[in-house]
Amino acid sequence: MREAAVPVKLWDLPVRLIHWGFVVLLPLLWWSAESGRLGLHKTFGLVMLTLVVTRLLWGLVGSPTARFDGFLRGPRAILDYLKGRGETARAPVVGHNPLGGWSVMAMLTLLGAQVALGLVTQDVDGLESGPLNSLVSWDTAEAAREAHELLFNLILALVVLHLAAIAFYRFVRKDDLVRPMVTGRRRFSEAVAPPHLAPLWRAALCAVLAAALAGWVWLGAPPFGARYPWDQPALAPLDAADYM
Amino acid sequence: MQFSKLAVCAALLLPATAMVAVAAAPHPAFKLRHDNFEAMGRAMKSTFDQFKKPTPNLATIRKNANVLAAAATKVKGHFPVGTGPEAGVKTEALAAIWARPADFAAATDRLVDTTKGLQAAAAGTDLAKIQAAAGAVGGSCKNCHDSFRKPRG
Ligand code: HEC
Ligand code: HEM
Repeated sequence: MREAAVPVKLWDLPVRLIHWGFVVLLPLLWWSAESGRLGLHKTFGLVMLTLVVTRLLWGLVGSPTARFDGFLRGPRAILDYLKGRGETARAPVVGHNPLGGWSVMAMLTLLGAQVALGLVTQDVDGLESGPLNSLVSWDTAEAAREAHELLFNLILALVVLHLAAIAFYRFVRKDDLVRPMVTGRRRFSEAVAPPHLAPLWRAALCAVLAAALAGWVWLGAPPFGARYPWDQPALAPLDAADYM
Repeated sequence: MQFSKLAVCAALLLPATAMVAVAAAPHPAFKLRHDNFEAMGRAMKSTFDQFKKPTPNLATIRKNANVLAAAATKVKGHFPVGTGPEAGVKTEALAAIWARPADFAAATDRLVDTTKGLQAAAAGTDLAKIQAAAGAVGGSCKNCHDSFRKPRG
């Protein structure tokens, strides 16, 4: 019954690219903000927006191991998995385990919320601000600034938890999760059905849609938050009282 | 004996508590400059919001320019000696303000000049000019913060 340990391709290219993109971007976002390079920070932030939105779309139309409906499981499955009982616990997991699926969702949610706050926030003087800052009041932008600062610490905490979990699997369970996230392949001790990976053109479409959204946001979301780049500014008519 | 001890303690403690009370009430300059700077921040945001709008409202820009010009003249008087980081009050003012008074005065003068410049530009209707003048005001804020305010973050 011992099947030759065949490597199974379980993480598709978009999942891996986006994952390592997060790993590179997070320190860059932190560094650019702390050193006051806000222009750079906003550029990285919009790249982050593109990655998060692409990943969310890929969670709807991507490969089975990338889809939310595949890896978000109920409390029953999570408990069974933790206690090591039932079908879910014994079968080898091709993709995220029931707990890991939710940690992915938590990470994407926090990153998305952080991006959203960044879009409307402002620095202390109201001089540097996110591209959608003009859509909100001063007080809202100030609240967003505080929340943007706080949420970064929550993201850091989640990253630490994530690394701790990987170390736990590596050293206690003797299960290397890092290599599959690099190569996309891992070996299973028994035969498993390899997932049908979705075609790459679909990922490209998701990325194009996400990039278009980021571009629109970068322009200030015309016509709501800013005028179209090709629109000449028009001044509102004044009455005599304004001159006095 | 007991009573005289108490009396001595009370006599010693009373002035001490009075001194603490005086120290605990922060110098009014802290609040004055906080409110003044925040008013300038709001006016700056409101102005730059107008530049992004499909139809910038010149009346709003003019109102903000007046707020900025009025607030700018007050900055100089909001930093009396003893209201720096040594006061034990939460502040971002750096000791450099009092160590290099001439440079600080130059920074406040620059703010006064640029806000006057914005007022003058906003009297006209050339939006490009107004925008450049507002940018110069922003530069004068940043110029002072870079040397005289504790960096954030
Ligand atoms: C001459 C120096 C100087 C100039 C010019 C200046 N500032 Fe400041 N600003 C300071 C200092 C010093 C502080 C810190 C005050 C404190 O914490 O006690 C400050 C604080 C602030 C704060 C935070 C207020 C608070 O207490 O939270 C805002 C907002 C602000 N400045 C906006 C502006 C804007 C907008 C401009 C330009 C229109 C400007 N400043 C020009 C020196 C300056
Ligand atoms: C997940 C993505 C993001 C992360 C991890 C992140 C992280 C941070 C951090 C750590 C700070 C410094 C906070 C402080 O200590 O003051 C900051 C500030 C800031 N961020 Fe982001 N950011 C992200 C996305 C964005 C986006 C998309 C924008 C807008 C395009 C943005 C705009 C800003 C601005 C304007 C500030 C300055 C606010 C201040 O002065 O405190 N951020 N960000």
